Amino acid sequence: MAILECKNLSKHYGKVAALEGVDLSIEPGRVVGLLGPNGSGKTTFIKLVNGLLTPTAGEVFIEGAKPGPASKALVAYLPDRDFLADWMTVEQQIRFFADFYKDFDPEKAREMMARLGIDPAQRFKTLSKGTREKVQLILVMSRKARLYLLDEPIGGVDPATRDFILDTIIRNYNPEAAVIISTHLISDVESVLDEVIFLKEGRVLLHEAADSIRETQGTSVDRYFREVFKC
Amino acid sequence: MLGKLIKYEFRATGRVMLPALGVLTVLVLLANLSVRLLDSRLSSFLTVLLVLVLIATFVAVVAAELMPIIIMIVRFHKNLLANEGYLMHTLPASVHSLVWAKLIVSLVWLLATNLVIVLLGGLSVLHLAQMNLAQLLAGFPSMEELRRMLASVGLNMADFYLVLTELALIIILSGLVSCLHFYAAMALGHTFTRRKGLMSVLCFVGISFAFSLITNLLGIQEVEYLNTVTVVSIRGGLNVLHGTMGKSFFYLLAQGALLYAATVFGLQKKLNLA
Amino acid sequence: MDWTFRGDQPIYAQLISRIKQGIVSGDLPPGSRLPSVRDLATEAGVNPNTMQRALQELEREGMVYSQRTAGRFVTEDVHLIEGAKRAFAAEHIRVFLEGMGKLGYGRGEILALLQEEKEDAHGNSGM
Repeated sequence: MAILECKNLSKHYGKVAALEGVDLSIEPGRVVGLLGPNGSGKTTFIKLVNGLLTPTAGEVFIEGAKPGPASKALVAYLPDRDFLADWMTVEQQIRFFADFYKDFDPEKAREMMARLGIDPAQRFKTLSKGTREKVQLILVMSRKARLYLLDEPIGGVDPATRDFILDTIIRNYNPEAAVIISTHLISDVESVLDEVIFLKEGRVLLHEAADSIRETQGTSVDRYFREVFKC
Repeated sequence: MLGKLIKYEFRATGRVMLPALGVLTVLVLLANLSVRLLDSRLSSFLTVLLVLVLIATFVAVVAAELMPIIIMIVRFHKNLLANEGYLMHTLPASVHSLVWAKLIVSLVWLLATNLVIVLLGGLSVLHLAQMNLAQLLAGFPSMEELRRMLASVGLNMADFYLVLTELALIIILSGLVSCLHFYAAMALGHTFTRRKGLMSVLCFVGISFAFSLITNLLGIQEVEYLNTVTVVSIRGGLNVLHGTMGKSFFYLLAQGALLYAATVFGLQKKLNLA
Repeated sequence: MDWTFRGDQPIYAQLISRIKQGIVSGDLPPGSRLPSVRDLATEAGVNPNTMQRALQELEREGMVYSQRTAGRFVTEDVHLIEGAKRAFAAEHIRVFLEGMGKLGYGRGEILALLQEEKEDAHGNSGM
């Protein structure tokens, strides 16, 4: 069964269509890049999948189920901002995730934090921005979910952290799960993507395998993106 | 899920509530001490200090009444409508459990704060009247005496317990409804894209207005009902009381259900985190 | 191994080429065991599916073979490896000649330049 399936998915705010008529399906074992300029609907799409928004029209299914508590147990979401309770320590955050998510592996999380030299007794709000992002990434990736939604995971971090993030995504690869990475920094993540989806003004422009774009267009996905979205 | 949510809710709010109640207790004890020590023979410096303690205590008591409400509002907003909402609304828990966790914990703090204030107040009164606990308890009727007093007007202990239970239920229910008043206003206010704070305040005012309008409409009937009933006996009066309590109970229940539905609607169908 | 990629060619094709180079150069000796798909993918910074595809292609070519539970191994067929080395060399030569041709050098001049280079290299190797 497809991990994610969308049928004519749309989200309107008044007259503005943030997302329009999105039809797509994503199979397990795929790492998919959701690419598009700012405002193209990437975050709206992700929020519709994880239940933070309800569709204006159309449907979305996560392993056949509509967004709800059951699908939320299968989806691991990393938003593009600080989203944890900032008064808790790192260790408390690990326990929180372990409490609410059955598929969370606390030992894996602790081991990764230790490898990065993150002190588990520190309060989240006292950590530097880069460290906070790493903590959030580690927590999300220590879940054995069916669908990972990463919203701009590498924007605004230094190159070494970027490498760590991509490294984690590859190491974490699970043939039964799918990963959706939404980003506008394409050249950094290209080599990790199986498929790419181009999103323009709320509509899906294309959905293809990354290597076939390289073969048919003779350019990198990044270069092709720039051509397609030339201002 | 609900249990876990309640656990974290207590932890998050307890961090502020418990120290606050602690400070209140210390201040009241200090105030009692100050009263004991105030004496015309003291230096003016000490007198001023002690009076300041008394003023601070007074302010603290007033603040203490407001504490649970402010904490409830701030907590609801921070946890469900701000950045933490990205975490909470993607947990494998239903919106209902998210709301009930907050309702239950807010209610506990409301009741606890009031209880603490009453206890501290009672202790202060005891202290000022220079009585001790044994003397105070001696002034209350024993169970036997209570039963005889009730029997003399044609009532029994069952009636007593029934009224107490009804009273407790109404207190709890009105506590919940007060919380829901704020929650619904915030949930609805945040469905607007801009000026969420302002819209929340407007919703709160709107809800208050709507309910007081309805209460007045219903209240008129209440007064008429009381006038037409001739209170022949104490029991008759008690039945009227039950009737009134029953009506209040169901009215509160209706308010609560409506506000709960509005809160869940705002948090589920119309959620729009910034 | 150096795992930098060009954007304009399919990555799986580049992976095939890179691994073959490793085999030919001796970084991956004949008969040696290859790291797991996941480890290789992590090292290369690529999607495991893409690495799997490259390895499967290499298996078809015979450059690597897999043993059910033991993993993947480099072939022990020295002839095949030699053949691949020759193919790489031929490609390098082709590119070289093309580049020199664009500069306007003829075959004779190219040979003479190569001879000079060789003598220089001998002279310098003493230092």
